Amino acid sequence: MAAISSRLKAYLGRIGPSLVLLAAAVFFIAPILSTARAAFHKVPTILLDRHTWFKKWSLEGVRRALDEPFFWPTLSLSLKLALVTVLITMMLLVPTALFVHLRLPRARALVEFLTVLPYVVPPIALVAGVAAFFRPNARWFLNSDFALAPFYVVMAMPFTYRAIDAGIKAIDVRTLVDASRSLGGSWATTLRKALLPNMASSLLSSAFLTATVVLGEFTIASTLAKNTFATFSFEYFSRDAQGGVGLALFTLLATTALLGMMTLLTRSKSRKAATVTRF
Amino acid sequence: MSNTVEDPIAGGVLIEDSPSAKVPAVSRLRRHRAWLGLLPFFAFLFIFLLLPTLGVIRKAFLANDDTYTTKGFTTAISQEGAAFWNSLKISLITAILGVIFGTALAYAAATAKRPKWLRSLVSAFSGVAANMGGIILAFLFLTLLGRQGLGTKILTDNGWNPYKSWFSINDFSGVVLVYMYFQIPLMVLVTLPAIDGLKTSWREASANLGGTTLTYWRRVGLPVLAPSMLGGFLLLFANAYSAYATAYALNTQSNLVPIKISFFLQGDVTGRSPVPFALATWMILFMAVSMGGYLVLRKRAERWQQSAVA
Repeated sequence: MAAISSRLKAYLGRIGPSLVLLAAAVFFIAPILSTARAAFHKVPTILLDRHTWFKKWSLEGVRRALDEPFFWPTLSLSLKLALVTVLITMMLLVPTALFVHLRLPRARALVEFLTVLPYVVPPIALVAGVAAFFRPNARWFLNSDFALAPFYVVMAMPFTYRAIDAGIKAIDVRTLVDASRSLGGSWATTLRKALLPNMASSLLSSAFLTATVVLGEFTIASTLAKNTFATFSFEYFSRDAQGGVGLALFTLLATTALLGMMTLLTRSKSRKAATVTRF
Repeated sequence: MSNTVEDPIAGGVLIEDSPSAKVPAVSRLRRHRAWLGLLPFFAFLFIFLLLPTLGVIRKAFLANDDTYTTKGFTTAISQEGAAFWNSLKISLITAILGVIFGTALAYAAATAKRPKWLRSLVSAFSGVAANMGGIILAFLFLTLLGRQGLGTKILTDNGWNPYKSWFSINDFSGVVLVYMYFQIPLMVLVTLPAIDGLKTSWREASANLGGTTLTYWRRVGLPVLAPSMLGGFLLLFANAYSAYATAYALNTQSNLVPIKISFFLQGDVTGRSPVPFALATWMILFMAVSMGGYLVLRKRAERWQQSAVA
């Protein structure tokens, strides 16, 4: 009797949490489903009923988006920007983080503080700063599409530095360096053969996250009038809603795939590594 | 510090790093030279973060005749009072709702025993959705709850037309709803580790000492979760206040601070108006307070999570 009532109580206690989970599932999945329908179903919602529900499903909207003359140029620019941003991030932050660990532990608090400063200057304020400082003083610099990359490095820095720093803390850097150096390895060899392979998962996760942020970044690109994939998506959506929605779905899947890959890669390497996020 | 410091481990060798006046000038120089290794990092931040930020603040206080004045800084509030108020309202509402629903969702996911993959699904999805913002999110909701949206159609067919009622995707109510799509997951990411840190043994201890469920939450659970929840609130507030792309894609005319900044930046080619820079300076101030609070509270919250791992 007592056992039954305690089980009943346990079931009743789960009603609240189950309802929360159910409501969350509806709220978070519904927009994705409606987007998929809008992308593949060529029937306006007004005409939607039992008779039209199964007709006119096609990939035409997505195909139209892929056929857009600006699709590939803007996508390729965004991919290149992502690559450049990741490369600058790695070349700047990996040596900095290693240097702080090995040579200058005194500087740790200062460096950590500086890397979270971009939180205080969000993209819309940063782009105002670009207008205030770079427009009058270095117009030539802003004329290049790749002028966006350093600002993306800054935007991503709070989480990229945290991820790289966590990767360094997770391994015994001092021992690895001493071992490699005493075996006659140069600094370059030490970095390439001992340190980087051991930090691979944290470097990869910060690279993937940076890439997704760059691919979706709209604020700075649009204010500086650059034709990236995000600004193209916005402009295209206002011209051709169905194609635009197809594009949105494509971006969503690509982003999810990138982040999913990151989770898989990091999990197989180290189970303890926390999920890296923007915050 | 004139006394010579001896390192017991190194066997009486003078420590090179000690800040002693007796350290020869050469080694003091070497000490300082180590900072040169951080030069690229400092230079990068100086050029791409500090100079733009100082540029914003300078322009906020610069009058048309190149003299400095606080006039632009204060008129920004009076002239764009409505945008300030709207942004504050949206940030407060979505932060409070985000804290409530995010914590509830994190708790539901963390305590669910079956199915086993539920918890990691919620946490992985939150990682994606919290990063989602931007224009794509606006498109998702336009297909669901826009005037021609599928959800609008279903609701209307079932007797409630949201557009004949209080809802519209292009105004305040729409922005609040859409922002919840990244605010709730962000809160899940912030509180999930804290909820995992609540050990079952604490609850048993509380029960053994005669505490009820209420006592447990009031005396143990909430105090442990409090830093994460308060920190989460500040983070969510900052996140909503500075969000631009989603609101812009929902309605390019939204009267919100970030959209006003962009509007003035794109419209004013001469770059003379202090308004966008004053608005941005105010935003930086808001961010400094709320993100500073968040980072301090995160440090506090991590204390329990570390002890939970050990």
